[in-house]
Amino acid sequence: MNRREALFSLGSMAAAGSLGSAAAAAELKGFPAQTAMSADHLPVPAKTGGGFRVLTGETEQKTVKAVFDRLIPADANGPSASEAGCLEFLDDQLAGEYGAGKALYLEGPLKPENEEAIMGAPQFLTSPRERYEAGLKALEAYAQENDGAAFHALSPDRIDEILAGLEAGEIDLGEGVNGQAFFELMLQNVREGYLADPLYGGNRGMAGWKMIGFPGARYDYRPYVDRRGEDLALAPVSLIPLD
Amino acid sequence: MAKWIKIAGGAVVLAAIGAGGWAWTSLNTSRSGVADDSVALADFTSDDAEAVARGEYVMRMGDCAACHTRGQGDFAGGYEIPTPFGTLVSSNITPDRDTGIGGMTERDFFDALRQGIGQHGFLYPAMPYTAYAKLTDGDMHDLWAYMSTVAPVSNDIDENGGMAFPYNIRLAMAGWDMLFFSNSGFEPEAGESEAWNRGKYIVDGGGHCSACHSPRNALGAEVAAAYLEGGSLGDWSAPDLTQNPHVGLGGSTAEDIAAYLRKGSDGVAVAAGPMAEAVEHSLQYLTEEDALAVGTYLVSLPASDTPAPEGADVASLPHAALDYEVNCSACHGLSGEGITGMVPAFAGNKGLLGDPTNLIHAMLKGARAPHTHEVQTAAGMPSFAWKLSDERIAELLDYVRNSWGNAAAAVPASSVAEMRASLDAREPMANPAQ
Ligand code: HEC
Ligand code: HEC
Ligand code: HEC
Repeated sequence: MNRREALFSLGSMAAAGSLGSAAAAAELKGFPAQTAMSADHLPVPAKTGGGFRVLTGETEQKTVKAVFDRLIPADANGPSASEAGCLEFLDDQLAGEYGAGKALYLEGPLKPENEEAIMGAPQFLTSPRERYEAGLKALEAYAQENDGAAFHALSPDRIDEILAGLEAGEIDLGEGVNGQAFFELMLQNVREGYLADPLYGGNRGMAGWKMIGFPGARYDYRPYVDRRGEDLALAPVSLIPLD
Repeated sequence: MAKWIKIAGGAVVLAAIGAGGWAWTSLNTSRSGVADDSVALADFTSDDAEAVARGEYVMRMGDCAACHTRGQGDFAGGYEIPTPFGTLVSSNITPDRDTGIGGMTERDFFDALRQGIGQHGFLYPAMPYTAYAKLTDGDMHDLWAYMSTVAPVSNDIDENGGMAFPYNIRLAMAGWDMLFFSNSGFEPEAGESEAWNRGKYIVDGGGHCSACHSPRNALGAEVAAAYLEGGSLGDWSAPDLTQNPHVGLGGSTAEDIAAYLRKGSDGVAVAAGPMAEAVEHSLQYLTEEDALAVGTYLVSLPASDTPAPEGADVASLPHAALDYEVNCSACHGLSGEGITGMVPAFAGNKGLLGDPTNLIHAMLKGARAPHTHEVQTAAGMPSFAWKLSDERIAELLDYVRNSWGNAAAAVPASSVAEMRASLDAREPMANPAQ
């Protein structure tokens, strides 16, 4: 990026930023008398009942499940990622603002090399929803090409091998898909699904929280802060009571 | 309100007029004879600064702004008061000649405030003339002087345009006055202290405490036999102010009450809802002496005979203890001790043990403590409508009303459901099937 281009991209970002903030500006004086929270301050629970909305293809679902359950398999510490609802969590997130990349700057101009250097990580013009679409397709194609079988049908060891290759940046998933970054995206999302509040569809039965001993959405820990080294045996609680 | 009560009510009022009560003492305006009847408010501005200052104090005590200032200009009226008989709108009481009370003389003003006879005829008792009737001539002269300094605002109000027949007929209020209005000034009790008498004068007169704290009958009149024993304000309720040891002020000292009125908290309770407004706009302006006088009077009131509530079993509530610790204890304390002056305690807070309306209201809509000169935090109670079901809220309220030495009747989940609907509070979110 030369100097002029750099200035141009800064200028267009600033313009977009100022337009957005002028529309959203609201002036507050004193303190609000109402304490009920407005809708945009409340969590949005996962939609349930209607089936998958983004990961609608059977192969897609099976591929995600195969990856997720290798990243977090069922063992003595707790259920697998899919048992804990991580697929439902992911689908709900992809169907919403996260999936659409609402919080991301997705417009050009883009000079990937420079941006990656500045940000310290690969940058994308695509939303997470689009990245899953392309990434899952490429993963399936990779398995068909190299193993002659569906990705989800591979042995656990083989899946681990592919995932390790992706993580190390040694496997090329082809044009338009950064395999390493896609691996990281899936790893991040499966962790989120396993450990986020159950109201978002994952962490079923608060299995993730029970596994790591996190007591959940409690307002205040002052009664416990001085009790170091003790097993407090605190039951985890969801933001929305579960039972 | 059931329709038959309305109809029966109208019949009573009209019958009372039919009985020919015109000469009845309730309509005798001779008490206003002490006031000037020649100069209209629009034509005069008091230059007696001390009288104006004293008048401002009377205005604060009477909380005129609570009903007459609602975003349409200071004292310009427009506050809509829902009554069982239709919507009443408060008058423009600025000195504007055409739309306010600029055409009133001092005598007309006295008639309106102390007798309920306004420019358009008899006033509805939502304007608390039944209490202001007790105001002394001196306080009335001062209030008049103050009103003359208010800036005129042009704001045309149709006070009873929203009332249904026969309640839109002001003449009917003559019958109401005959039945329920005591047309008499304040009479000090000879055997009582000066502070006690001053307290009673504020409570019954300017402070119009019984307008909220006494129950009302089907025709909207205060029930004298249950004076200050607690009244319903629809989606709030004003607790028993007698010395009742279970649900009233039994155990409170005059100092506690004075602190509550001036700061919004006595260290245990914190005023919420309409009482928070009364404190913020009116009672915090009381002098220390006057606030103590009110306390002195209130602690002398004989206890109402509301019996000790039976209490509910807390041990068997499946969720409450954990729900309380997780959601409430940060502010209200692990032992219901609250945060002094900011967050109400539950332990020993008897005002919360009677009618549960305020508790349900606070849970569903949240509440904001008053902002006063001395206590400026105006701490907030968050709304829990979004996260707690009717059953969970009822259970939590049973828990706080029956722990730490408290005893109160169980709160039915159906009451929470009804209030959720009437307050248009958010439905609770559901956790996805787990
Ligand atoms: C609880 C609410 C409330 C409070 C407090 C209140 N008013 Fe009113 N006032 C009303 C309503 C409502 C009306 C209209 C009643 C009607 O038209 O029947 C009214 C009418 C009046 C009128 C008659 C206006 C006219 O055009 O005839 C005057 C004067 C008045 N108020 C003065 C005062 C003053 C002064 C105070 C304070 C000392 C005060 N009010 C406090 C509710 C209130
Ligand atoms: C962030 C602090 C905070 C939390 C958390 C909180 N409250 Fe409150 N609560 C307050 C404050 C401050 C008030 C006083 C509001 C007022 O006076 O208007 C209050 C008032 C109330 C009242 C009304 C008392 C009255 O005067 O009528 C009830 C009932 C209540 N809280 C119950 C609860 C329950 C039950 C929970 C837990 C589910 C809870 N609160 C959680 C701060 C809190
Ligand atoms: C507009 C209606 C209204 C008026 C007028 C009013 N109150 Fe209240 N009052 C209430 C309500 C509602 C509550 C309950 C507040 C709460 O739940 O926190 C209350 C609570 C109180 C309490 C606390 C009771 C307890 O047990 O904790 C005291 C004391 C009190 N009021 C005194 C007065 C006095 C004295 C006056 C007159 C100078 C007065 N109030 C005028 C509505 C009113």
